[in-house]
Amino acid sequence: MENQLIFDLTMMVAKILVIIACTLGLAPFIVWFERRGAAWMQRRVGPNRVGPFGLLQSLADVMKFAFKETFIPKNANKFYYFMAPILALIAPMCALAVIPFGSKIIVNGQEVVLQVAQMDTGVIFVLAFAGLEVYPIILAGWASRNKYSVLGALRGSSQIVSYEISMGLALLSMLIVYGSFNPHDMVSWQNGTLFGFLPRWGALVNPFGALVFWIATFAETNRLPFDLPEGESELVAGYHVEYGGMRFASFFMAEYVAMIMASALLVTMFFGGYNMFPGMGILVEVIGNKMSFGEIGLQNTKAFFEFASFFVKVSFFMFVMVWIRWTLPRFRFDQLMDLGWKILFPLSLINLVLVTIGVYYFNS
Amino acid sequence: MSPVIIILCVVSAVLALTMLFTKSPITSALCLLGVLIMTAAVYGLIGEHLVATIQLVVYAGAIMVLFIFSIMLLNLTEGENDFKQNPAVFIAGIALGLAAFGAIAYAIIRHFATHAAGKEMGIYSPEKIAELGGNSIVLSHALFSQFYVSFEVISLALLVAVVGAVVLAKRKVD
Repeated sequence: MENQLIFDLTMMVAKILVIIACTLGLAPFIVWFERRGAAWMQRRVGPNRVGPFGLLQSLADVMKFAFKETFIPKNANKFYYFMAPILALIAPMCALAVIPFGSKIIVNGQEVVLQVAQMDTGVIFVLAFAGLEVYPIILAGWASRNKYSVLGALRGSSQIVSYEISMGLALLSMLIVYGSFNPHDMVSWQNGTLFGFLPRWGALVNPFGALVFWIATFAETNRLPFDLPEGESELVAGYHVEYGGMRFASFFMAEYVAMIMASALLVTMFFGGYNMFPGMGILVEVIGNKMSFGEIGLQNTKAFFEFASFFVKVSFFMFVMVWIRWTLPRFRFDQLMDLGWKILFPLSLINLVLVTIGVYYFNS
Repeated sequence: MSPVIIILCVVSAVLALTMLFTKSPITSALCLLGVLIMTAAVYGLIGEHLVATIQLVVYAGAIMVLFIFSIMLLNLTEGENDFKQNPAVFIAGIALGLAAFGAIAYAIIRHFATHAAGKEMGIYSPEKIAELGGNSIVLSHALFSQFYVSFEVISLALLVAVVGAVVLAKRKVD
């Protein structure tokens, strides 16, 4: 009994640490990657002075952020001013709790499901915390008592609220296909082939849903071409214009965590989740036979490769986010709202109806 | 009851009282948000994940955003200090609130008393729900078969409310 409690506790803490290591731990690396990727696409060199390939540049940036003067605007509401960056990090981290990053491993003869919170409502929980991402933006803009941050907060929050609708409808069309809220069920549904050779990924079953969802994730995470809340080159900045030092850095990190969360959700819903790439199954068999693993070793090897596949897929979509940043120019705000309300919203509604009819037809 | 739930209840009670007695509208709205999130956490801890999630999506994620949005847009900070409390109204309000609370508490206690005696149990016990495949499946089946008509009528009522709100707001603009 006592041992079981310690085992459960260790297991939970270990899983949470994996999530933190893969988001907050990797965030500086992603920043470096983004800057190097941007430089590569523009035929520049990019940060290459600090450490090998400039890898330690982010570390230097973090040091700089940490040692900056703590500045509070004169009229700011102090409590909410301090609270906003903390809330900004909490919401996307919580949403990551229900994303499975592998099927299961067997430790000490017990199954450990590779997902922090195993809930009945899985994907809806992600949506709930995506909805909470509006609060830090509103709060930061309001608490700094600056016209420009309030305007930035209005831009940011109206954008997130508008695109949440199309995102939710695209998600709903996939829920109808899978018939479950549970991400594990979704991933195992996608573990087959279409017409014998294509992987049965959600994106190939419901391409419009995937496209709408993907576009909406760009708006939800304030990435280019929809980064109007910040507008780095035209405007000063948005809701975080009055923030400096480490508090600005937490908004910055929250954006990267939200990017990871959006990519992970996209992969889980539409691109096979932690299902291994075609051919990896054979690799696991070969390794298992060569090292003469038992049942347990085979399952653990499989889980390792599943985690690797998931990681590669998420990294690919992170790379595409950087890629699109230097491919598409920024939208104007009315164009952004038109795209959200007049194109994506009707498109996702029509898609929902078509998918419902299709699922009814195939299931009967 | 686990100690975590008790802590959550105490925190949400403190937040609710702050919501009542603060003079800043944004603090009031954020305290209400805190109460809603704490309630969702309590639902989650007693294993009702669906109710907890719906609470977060609908109340915390949608309705409170609207509240805070309108407070920010109207910028109520100016009138913060003009707010005068009329003692008679205040006492009457407290009395009414206590009466409503007492009625609800009485109903709940009576309900649990009959439960303990084994009378008037619903058909869904926790074991039955687990056997049928979880809360969300059971609820969806009930919602889209047995209670389909009432579900649709409620959505119609919401539509009427939205249309009414638009009409009221428009008249002021014209």
